Amino acid sequence: MSDKPEKLITDDGLRLDGRHADEIRPMKIEIGVLSRADGSCYLEWGRNKILVGVFGPREVHPRRSQRADTAVIRYKYNMASFSVEDRARPGPSRRSIEISKVSREAFEPVIMAELFPKTAIDIFVEVLQADAGTRTAAINASSIALADAGIPMKGLVTSCAFGKVDGQIVLDLNKEEDNYGEADFPVAMTQDGEITLLQMDGNLTPDEIRKGFELIKKGCKEILEIQQAVLRKKFETPVEEPEAEASEEAEGSEAEVVETEPSLEYAPEAAAVEEIIEETEELSEETVEACALNEEAPECEKLEEIIKDAEAEIVEGESIEGAIEAESEEEVEKEAFEEEADFEAAFEASFEEVSEPEEIEEPELEETEEETEFEPEVEEFAEEKIQPEEETQPEEEAEIEEAASEETFESESEIESEAESRKEAPAEQTVEEPEEEKCKGPWKVVKDPSESGSRGENDE
Amino acid sequence: MSEVIATLKKDYIYNLMIKGKRQDGRGFKDFRDIKLETNVISKAEGSAKVTLGDTQVIVGVKLQTGTPFPDSQDEGVIITNLELNPIASPEFEPGPPREEAIEMARVVDRGIRESGAIDIKKLCITVGESVWIVFIDVHVLNDDGNVIDASCLAAIAALMTAIVPNEQQGIGTNVPLAMREIPVGVTIAKIGSKLMVDPSLDEEAVCETKLTVVSSSDGSVAGMQKMGSAPFTEAEVLEAIDMAREKAAELRELYLEELVKRE
Repeated sequence: MSDKPEKLITDDGLRLDGRHADEIRPMKIEIGVLSRADGSCYLEWGRNKILVGVFGPREVHPRRSQRADTAVIRYKYNMASFSVEDRARPGPSRRSIEISKVSREAFEPVIMAELFPKTAIDIFVEVLQADAGTRTAAINASSIALADAGIPMKGLVTSCAFGKVDGQIVLDLNKEEDNYGEADFPVAMTQDGEITLLQMDGNLTPDEIRKGFELIKKGCKEILEIQQAVLRKKFETPVEEPEAEASEEAEGSEAEVVETEPSLEYAPEAAAVEEIIEETEELSEETVEACALNEEAPECEKLEEIIKDAEAEIVEGESIEGAIEAESEEEVEKEAFEEEADFEAAFEASFEEVSEPEEIEEPELEETEEETEFEPEVEEFAEEKIQPEEETQPEEEAEIEEAASEETFESESEIESEAESRKEAPAEQTVEEPEEEKCKGPWKVVKDPSESGSRGENDE
Repeated sequence: MSEVIATLKKDYIYNLMIKGKRQDGRGFKDFRDIKLETNVISKAEGSAKVTLGDTQVIVGVKLQTGTPFPDSQDEGVIITNLELNPIASPEFEPGPPREEAIEMARVVDRGIRESGAIDIKKLCITVGESVWIVFIDVHVLNDDGNVIDASCLAAIAALMTAIVPNEQQGIGTNVPLAMREIPVGVTIAKIGSKLMVDPSLDEEAVCETKLTVVSSSDGSVAGMQKMGSAPFTEAEVLEAIDMAREKAAELRELYLEELVKRE
């Protein structure tokens, strides 16, 4: 075992591994790595290597441990004997039994076990390499594995630790910091920020704990984004279907965005979130229009209906004419802003009329022929550029950043990546843009090799 | 523990709680009666018995010589064990310790270890070869709720009255075990959205989650553990910490500080 380094935090405020106090270690997640497990996940976090397999709901053995009203959740944390410097004795230790218990309790509030009475849901965690923070890493991985297994959950659980090193509160301790630091404080929380696991050892004042909680929330938010990105990549991959379904689904997704997040209402940031939802609704509508514009196909009747509804609001054809002629952003803006009420209609109408492929769209048409479902989105980005959104955009982003609630992440990343592409990306690039956005920062999202094609990249 | 409790009783306790009352008439910040006896087992180097309401816990401290851990060659070793004796509850069975027993033992251990309660450097006999190993064995004799707080209290009291049996090893005279800190564990139970100290057995069955906070005499927190399946909010955690620190200071003053003088 190495000796204690003189300083765990250098004079310029960086840690031994070059991180800032509020930075987490790089995290890599692979999903579905085990073929026999119902759900699985491989996670690397710093030098931690964790493998999780989820089985179930399945029959309970021994039978007497089954429960008539709910599923039994079993969590088994196990350290490989070679995972640490001195060989660990195989089999459960007192430490691993304790970790298993608290980790199971971390998941009990989110797993909808009552849906599967008389069954067991087994979560097996193998720590292949340990480097401080294995229980938090294991919880993050288990969350993904449970989702991969299709176990109904109220949300993902994210986990992260803070600690005190050289008198400073830092996020996500590495091995040296864990060994020689003054405190370790692992926490797991739901997407609503409810704490489902809390342990602590060391020496902390209540003020330090408060400070630590702020770091934890930041860390968990970042981790949640990584988790969601991984899940999206796997589960939002479109099924190749005729274009008719594609456009219908575009509508369906609009409804879904609203429906799947009912709990948002209860979040303190509900107002901000609602705005985001509204925004998404708007976007989806535009998506639909984009589709119509592109295809001129009969299956776009629905879309046309929407457009017609919009048209009903148009005062006179005047603004339409103007908009049709307007090829450039500026012109649309000028025209559209003449009258606030007319703007939307004019804007929409312009798209409808411009049914012949324009310069902007041509590359899209070729590129997206196979990607039926994403076509609308791609188009949308192109359209988005024409819309004079610049004024509303910064506001919206600020709001999103303020909303600390983990609930907003999903919406946030959607909006952000869209905003990103709107602002800077030419239409051709929008396909890659959202994904690249996610990969920025200290982590890298591991791409599932089976889905590394361009398909599913722009599925915001 | 996972005692079975009638739904009727559960509702009763829950409804009382909403009205700001508890089954036995206590306030949310009141402990049940505590009785602390020390030196109850003369064969042990240190011992204490705590009666908390009807919960009874006895702790014996034994010291033996042994080899130190390779990464702390000049430090004594602390080993804590907690036994949920079948005598204490019809729920307990003989055999290897259950999860709860292991967890509670580790929480008791964590508080003592992390607060630096024992001056472990003074337990070194020969660097790298021989040190004192302090065995803290917690026996739960009767489980009527909040075993963990009773165990924390009994463990620290037993340690404070323990002696290092140097004579037995022929290395000088017996001295009191060197203590530096008095950690006290207080468990806060959450029922609905209310926080209360010292849950009784029934309250433990109703509450879905508890937070044990072990704090030192300067008010800093040395160890924490959330037990149970329901979540806490951040505000609740902070409130619970303050509550626990306040109660810990009271308990320390009432029961433990006199043990310091005795030395």
